[in-house]
Amino acid sequence: MADVTFTVDGKQITAPAGTLLIDACKSAGIEIPAFCYYPGLSLQAACRMCVVRIEKMPKLATACTTTVAEGMVVATETPEITQARKATLQLLLGNHPLDCPVCDAGGECELQDMTFKYGAADSFYTEPKNHREEQNWSPVVYFDRPRCILCYRCVRMCGEGMDVFALGIQNRGSSAVIAPNIAPSLSPDNLAHLDCEQCGMCIDACPVGALTSGAYRYKTRPWEMNHVTTVCTHCGDGCKTTLGVRSTSDGAEIVRGDNRDKSGINGDFLCNKGRYAFDFANSQERITTPLVRQPNGDLKPVSWEEAFTVAGKKLRELRDTRGGKSIGVIGGNRLTNEEAYLLQKFARTVLGTNNVDHHRTADYVTFTQALAGQKGRTASWNDTKSYPAVLIVGGDPTNQAPGTAWNLRSDVRLNKARLYVANTSEIKLRRQARAFLQVAPFGYGALAGYLAGDASAASNAALDPTALGGFLEAVKGEEKLLILIGSELRGADLKRLIEFGLTIPGAKFALLSDYANSRGAADMGLLPDMLPGYTPVPTPGPFTEHNIPSEPGLDLLEIFDAAAAGNLSALYVVNSNPVARYGVDPAALKDTFVIVQEMFLTETAQLADIILPAANLYEKSGSVTNSYGDLQLVQKAGDRSGVRSDFEMIVRIADKMGADVKALVPFGKGLRADMGQSRGAQSGEADRHAVWLTANNLEPKLSPFDPWAILDEIQRLVPGYDLLRLQLLSGNDQHLEPAAAAATASRRDLVLPSGDGLFTSGTLGRFSPALNDVQRYQAGEPLIQIQTAAD
Amino acid sequence: MPTLVSHPDEVKVISRRFGQGAADIDRYLELDGYKAVQKAIAEGPDWIINVMKASGLRGRGGAGFPTGLKWSFVPKQSEKPKYVLVNGDESEPGTCKDHVIFLHDPHAIVEGTMIAGLAIGAKMGFIYLRGEYRYLLKIVEKAVADAYAKGFLGKNIFGSGIDFDIVTQSGAGAYEVGEESALMESLEGKRGVPRIKPPFPAVVGLYGGPTVINNAETIASVPHILLMGGEEYAKIGSERNGGTRLFGISGHVERPGVYELPMGYNLKKAIYDVAGGIKDGKKLKAVVPGGSSCPVLLPEEIDVGLDFDQMGKAGTMLGSGGIVVLDETVSIVEFALRTISFYQHESCGWCIPCREGTDWIKKTMTRIYNGGGNKKDAANIQYLAENMMGRTFCPLGDAAAMPTLGFIKKFRKEFEEYIEGNKAGTPIITVQQLVGAH
Amino acid sequence: MSIVRNAAAIAKGMSVTLKEMFQPTEVENYPDGKGPMRGAKFQERFRGKHQLQRDENGLEKCVACFLCAAACPSNCIYIEAAENTEETRISSAERYAKVYNIDYNRCIFCGYCVEACPTDAITHGHGFELASLNATTLVMRKEDLLVLPSAHKLPDAVQSNKDTAEVLA
Repeated sequence: MADVTFTVDGKQITAPAGTLLIDACKSAGIEIPAFCYYPGLSLQAACRMCVVRIEKMPKLATACTTTVAEGMVVATETPEITQARKATLQLLLGNHPLDCPVCDAGGECELQDMTFKYGAADSFYTEPKNHREEQNWSPVVYFDRPRCILCYRCVRMCGEGMDVFALGIQNRGSSAVIAPNIAPSLSPDNLAHLDCEQCGMCIDACPVGALTSGAYRYKTRPWEMNHVTTVCTHCGDGCKTTLGVRSTSDGAEIVRGDNRDKSGINGDFLCNKGRYAFDFANSQERITTPLVRQPNGDLKPVSWEEAFTVAGKKLRELRDTRGGKSIGVIGGNRLTNEEAYLLQKFARTVLGTNNVDHHRTADYVTFTQALAGQKGRTASWNDTKSYPAVLIVGGDPTNQAPGTAWNLRSDVRLNKARLYVANTSEIKLRRQARAFLQVAPFGYGALAGYLAGDASAASNAALDPTALGGFLEAVKGEEKLLILIGSELRGADLKRLIEFGLTIPGAKFALLSDYANSRGAADMGLLPDMLPGYTPVPTPGPFTEHNIPSEPGLDLLEIFDAAAAGNLSALYVVNSNPVARYGVDPAALKDTFVIVQEMFLTETAQLADIILPAANLYEKSGSVTNSYGDLQLVQKAGDRSGVRSDFEMIVRIADKMGADVKALVPFGKGLRADMGQSRGAQSGEADRHAVWLTANNLEPKLSPFDPWAILDEIQRLVPGYDLLRLQLLSGNDQHLEPAAAAATASRRDLVLPSGDGLFTSGTLGRFSPALNDVQRYQAGEPLIQIQTAAD
Repeated sequence: MPTLVSHPDEVKVISRRFGQGAADIDRYLELDGYKAVQKAIAEGPDWIINVMKASGLRGRGGAGFPTGLKWSFVPKQSEKPKYVLVNGDESEPGTCKDHVIFLHDPHAIVEGTMIAGLAIGAKMGFIYLRGEYRYLLKIVEKAVADAYAKGFLGKNIFGSGIDFDIVTQSGAGAYEVGEESALMESLEGKRGVPRIKPPFPAVVGLYGGPTVINNAETIASVPHILLMGGEEYAKIGSERNGGTRLFGISGHVERPGVYELPMGYNLKKAIYDVAGGIKDGKKLKAVVPGGSSCPVLLPEEIDVGLDFDQMGKAGTMLGSGGIVVLDETVSIVEFALRTISFYQHESCGWCIPCREGTDWIKKTMTRIYNGGGNKKDAANIQYLAENMMGRTFCPLGDAAAMPTLGFIKKFRKEFEEYIEGNKAGTPIITVQQLVGAH
Repeated sequence: MSIVRNAAAIAKGMSVTLKEMFQPTEVENYPDGKGPMRGAKFQERFRGKHQLQRDENGLEKCVACFLCAAACPSNCIYIEAAENTEETRISSAERYAKVYNIDYNRCIFCGYCVEACPTDAITHGHGFELASLNATTLVMRKEDLLVLPSAHKLPDAVQSNKDTAEVLA
């Protein structure tokens, strides 16, 4: 829209017509206070804090409902306005309890800030405040009713943002109160409860401390924590999350997960898992000493030195006697890119084997190959916020990638985007869809065929084949179409769907996977036939310098087959649980020397000869790539004495095997001057010099345990990973497009979706008390029918 | 059925058919019923709007917006269906004018709704009655059913090829729903809270369609205006205030009741002449001239004409035409407390100044009334009311603040007597009600 | 002339000295004085070792709001908060201090913590004999700082000579 120019507090401001005055002022650096206004949600105009004086208007006007107009003259801070805001605060504080010292929001409370600014310190009343008991709505959401200022942000967030509508308002006037959707009279314990997705967005939106998080409440205060911004470890969306950390006697405990500055790729959003399920890191069941199996079968705690020595010696012996091809390596989906790259490099150069694999949750090889030679055809997660039309084939973002679902809902709500959903089941996103096509059971292949022009596939594609024509026409009619593909589509089906999409000039693609770094594991070449960047093993290209065996190795299932046949001398499992995941017979590994790096005593770890206690993604630094190929920085937040990062352990084992560590991790390169001279080591200031050096790839990597040394190599060798350091270090996301070579021969389909929903998260979920509580709550509350309530 | 009152000064336009059994459709037809709508069909929408503009009819709900102008704002072409809404949510304390119309002449409302529909090109009308008027709903429902039975409503009304339907709806008992956009929310089945304006109902109204919403009295005037002509109607009233209006005079007068007086009629005359003066020869203490939300007038201020402009100049409002007369025996503190208690009870809770302000004024006034007032209380009440004025989301906050300000300014002494003398009134509100109400 | 002036100045100075010789001594005889205070005297406002107070019900006043720790310029207060439950109620609000340590190696007795406290939970007592040969004993825990429940309430330290030395340390 055309720009208009107007005056605010004597300052000329230009903004697009139709912008809300409050937003336009904020962009110009003039802050207008508001409790009820929340960008992106519907307007409320209930708190009356944003009142401003607009010339030629009889009354004070609310800036949150006024759109800017040419020549408008606005005053935002005059004695009259200050008085109006002060009076509003006085009215609010009349009933608001003054328990700031106890309240969780104390220190980051908008009402506190406003009271501080406008000084509504006097009380006029002698009557007691209205008091109501606190309510425990669910294991993770508590509602302290007297603190509520009725801004309705939670109600709108839940209804409009989450499409759950679990919150509403009861009574009227001064008795009005926010209430959840299970009334006390309907609940077995006669208390009000929530039937919802437990995302906690209401807590995030609450400007005061009325809604508090069950995981964090009364534990500490905002300024007592260190706030570390990192990437959530749970699903493939890769939301940026801020972890509140405080030091304890055995490390650093994570006490809160939230979306503090909303600066990340996920915008406002964080789901239940990102918000509460950090607590697996604090679990008492974590392994904190290396364990080595004794001849009698017992696991004995040993020192790190001893564990590494045993592991290195044995691996070297087995490599030298039975050959590298008798060793298998399985990596995890929650390793950083650097660790995944290092692991495959270790396997291929130190062990000398291509028997490398990981638990695949989407067919990225086919995806990148089908898009070989195309530029700008892969979608960033950011595209889901703004693309005018979106087609989702397969998948269920609401449950598997809640952030994607949030973005799509917002896109539909705010940008009037057209959403097309094709799925075998009636997924929740169909409620936002312009068209929903129910795919026949196992019909995705047929659907891909139909879309690609094979009319004969129609009968197998949809439950109601007559609906196909209209659906196809509508999709084809889009000029800019974002095609999100679930992991159900693999191999030839996936290829055909992408070929169809490529006929739409403005189409972009994304393939959804299940874990924090599923995409990175594939990109970094944790595959038997692909080197990093989907470089085929027989034609190593840039990786020729590593002298990699030219034959593709065994895939994950073949590794276990080889073990069962007695042909696998050793298995090295890093942060993965293939035994439970693939239902491997434990007996298959009885003759195999198994090293497992793990947090917990999982099914795989129980079979290990050496267990090395590992750090999780919240306890290390590096980078991860989300489903869409957006690279983000991971920063170390928590710490637990007795665990080490997978990166460090791989290097130590390689060292103990007698490998050239400097060849494995090219450390010690870069600038060798200015050692700390210009750093703010004493003052505690941000080390800008170091940031600049690191950003320009000049930082001396003095330690072989420094992931940046490997990032240098990734940047140098992996096709498509030409990233910008400064972007990464600033905590911004950047979209990468690994350029694959054209398709190789047909490959075995090993994709196994994680099957995680809103309240599960693989191994991590099993050891997260918060998720277990929520699961129990969801199962125990007879009224909870998340399908119907949410539908 | 309450007895009807009359006075020679009355000009019977709307009340022409009162007391003549016009709730019966056949009787209504004998009394020129449904002639106006046929004339309207014959003459067309532009003619209707021109007549309405010429009549000078201003909305009888209280705001006094010219009706013809309001109708002309509705866009001629619209993607979404257009609607006519009749606001029969007459909830202002002291007001009982729509009540008599629904009781005595429901067909005038039905006919008026049809004419409004014709004027703006709507095919559907809604008659919304306040929840407490459930017994009147039966009468209105019967009138609508009878009109359908005669073929006046439904498909092809009066052979014109135009379809028109009317739906009746009862509220759930909220004063707030008298606000037009809150009424629409309520009609749509939602919580009755007002909407953000703009957009105004004429552009985006009920179910998102352009909507004309008029007070029941306004709508009931329409058939009469079309039959007598706009200019004729305008002549009855004062300048820029066309026609007549139903005034409900209540309180301490000899002959309380609903009188139809020409606009601009003198208030003093209405009280002392039309309503027969103060009951039992007592002295007049105060007059609330247009429903409880209008600032109070002192005896020396009542020599003023009853129209929108003159009342505005006198520092009060014509409001909904409910004149409440208070004699010398009335405790203004008690009356103010009763008034604010009503608004506190009816505040919807949407915005802070109204939700909290009415509550705290009520609590403070209750304390004063019960003899526990302290010196700052009167000033605090004034401070609260002044800070509610013009700051709330909808006019309810103003409606609560305006009379409070009026009482506290004009009867400050009486409040101070209560506070200083610790004079307690008859306890009407218990401590439990005050403290443990929630 | 200068000699006379100098001599006069010396005489003036010495007269002050001479005068003071006949005044009673003001030196405090700590630690060799009488009574439990051993000769120590100080003003009531003296800022000594902190005390954590209890309310009239014997519950701890501290609600673990961390404001004292935030106000502390030498960063010597360490708190861990926990939530009261129905079974175990430590403070009257929702939260209480599970751990409350003051590191007297670092404390500068500025009193900012007392000023910051919204519940008057932390106050300065008059304990001053804090010297120790072992620095670790100077990290005092909540048990060391908390006053005894009111039944055993002890008189304020300076008011009386009957105070025991334990009160102070």
